[in-house]
Amino acid sequence: MNLLGRRLPAAALVLLAGGLVGAVLAPPDRFQGDYQRLMYVHVPTAWVAYLCFGLTGVASALWLWRRTGRFDRLAAASAELGVLFTGLTIVLGSWWGKPVWGVWWTWDPRLVTTALMFFVYLGYLALRRATLDPLARARRSAVLGVVAVVQVPVVHMSVVWWRALHQPPTVLKPGDPTIDHRMLAVLLLNVVAFTVFALMLLRARLRLTVLEDELATARAAEDTEVAGGVVTAPQLEGRMRDV
Amino acid sequence: MTVLSPAPLRQARAIAGTELRIEARAGEALWIITPFGAVALLLTPMAVGADRPLLSQLGTGMYWVVVLLFGVLVALRQTATDSPGHLAVLRMTGMPAAARLGGRAAATTVVLLAFETLLLPVMIALYQPDLAGWPWLAAALPLTAAGLAALGTLAGALVHGMAGRGTLGPLLVCPLALPLLLGATELVKEGGYGQVPWLWLLLLVTVTGIGWLALLLGANALEESS
Repeated sequence: MNLLGRRLPAAALVLLAGGLVGAVLAPPDRFQGDYQRLMYVHVPTAWVAYLCFGLTGVASALWLWRRTGRFDRLAAASAELGVLFTGLTIVLGSWWGKPVWGVWWTWDPRLVTTALMFFVYLGYLALRRATLDPLARARRSAVLGVVAVVQVPVVHMSVVWWRALHQPPTVLKPGDPTIDHRMLAVLLLNVVAFTVFALMLLRARLRLTVLEDELATARAAEDTEVAGGVVTAPQLEGRMRDV
Repeated sequence: MTVLSPAPLRQARAIAGTELRIEARAGEALWIITPFGAVALLLTPMAVGADRPLLSQLGTGMYWVVVLLFGVLVALRQTATDSPGHLAVLRMTGMPAAARLGGRAAATTVVLLAFETLLLPVMIALYQPDLAGWPWLAAALPLTAAGLAALGTLAGALVHGMAGRGTLGPLLVCPLALPLLLGATELVKEGGYGQVPWLWLLLLVTVTGIGWLALLLGANALEESS
């Protein structure tokens, strides 16, 4: 099974390369200089994190409705990616914050709510890991997946509700985006590139989950004695273990 | 005129009564967790320095942090009604999961309110904060207790029967309970400035409402998993 597929990696590679070139060629910010170029990675990672957690919420709700295994796998895979990209967002923001704000971390509502979202979904992943029964795991994590998604709009709106250090929304707001249009074009290109890259990872993780499930089923079948061990299951020649 | 209450409400009330009787006998929340919270309030000044004006400023915030962190322990405490046998009997009687979890959360609200009320004079004595805006505690205490009880009961149901229940539960509740901490702190602070803190009151009511809604709507799915 090809985990990554063919078209998505090629598209992701081309788009990421284009995004990188765009980020280098885009005009520097008048005040922040080249530090501002981190925005071309920071904003897309945050967007992908939102997208992944939103997907977890939708897949969880669909699992509760349809009870289909693929929705549980989708919720889990997108939550893992969401945690990864939220972590990246925090690290990149912190990296940018030190030279521009003068601190690695500050008690800004956007930063705090993002960190809390990170911990909520870490809890989600811990819950999945701690529940051994697949059905119970799917049920419990689906309920949490639906509840936890409330965090996403809270994080996004935090800069509007509490005016603090972090700048308010520049693009996802009513009216014309308050950003140079060349910068906006590069930013959007990077958003698309990271989205395609995330889709590629999601696809790979989903396929890996299917393989993990198949392996778990095969192992469980190996350990189960047919008819309480009275009957010996037919085995392929050369693979007899008890001879 | 006699109004008959609907069966699930009666059942929830019965569960809440049982939970409260168990707490009255065992006293886990009031005799163990409350003194533990008081110890946390006592230790903090030793870590940050016994500077009276600083402690006076920190007092209210510290109180709500202790209420949140130790209140999670209250909400997640295991009682006799959590035993597999008891749960099996409740299921066989046909009690809806929402009534069971709702009753449990209602009882936890009462216990948390008592916990908050007992810790309050301890904090006032140790930190001597500015008492302006304290009438707003009449709204902040019950709303925080109800919200924390709902989130805690929901998390308790999520981690039911797990080995890491004691650690995973707080990890799930604490980040989600941040709006309660923020709402309660700001409600009293803004009330102290002579303003009516509608926004913070609305935040507390909304988060508490969402917590209860999630608990009652998710109860059936959680019941199947336990």
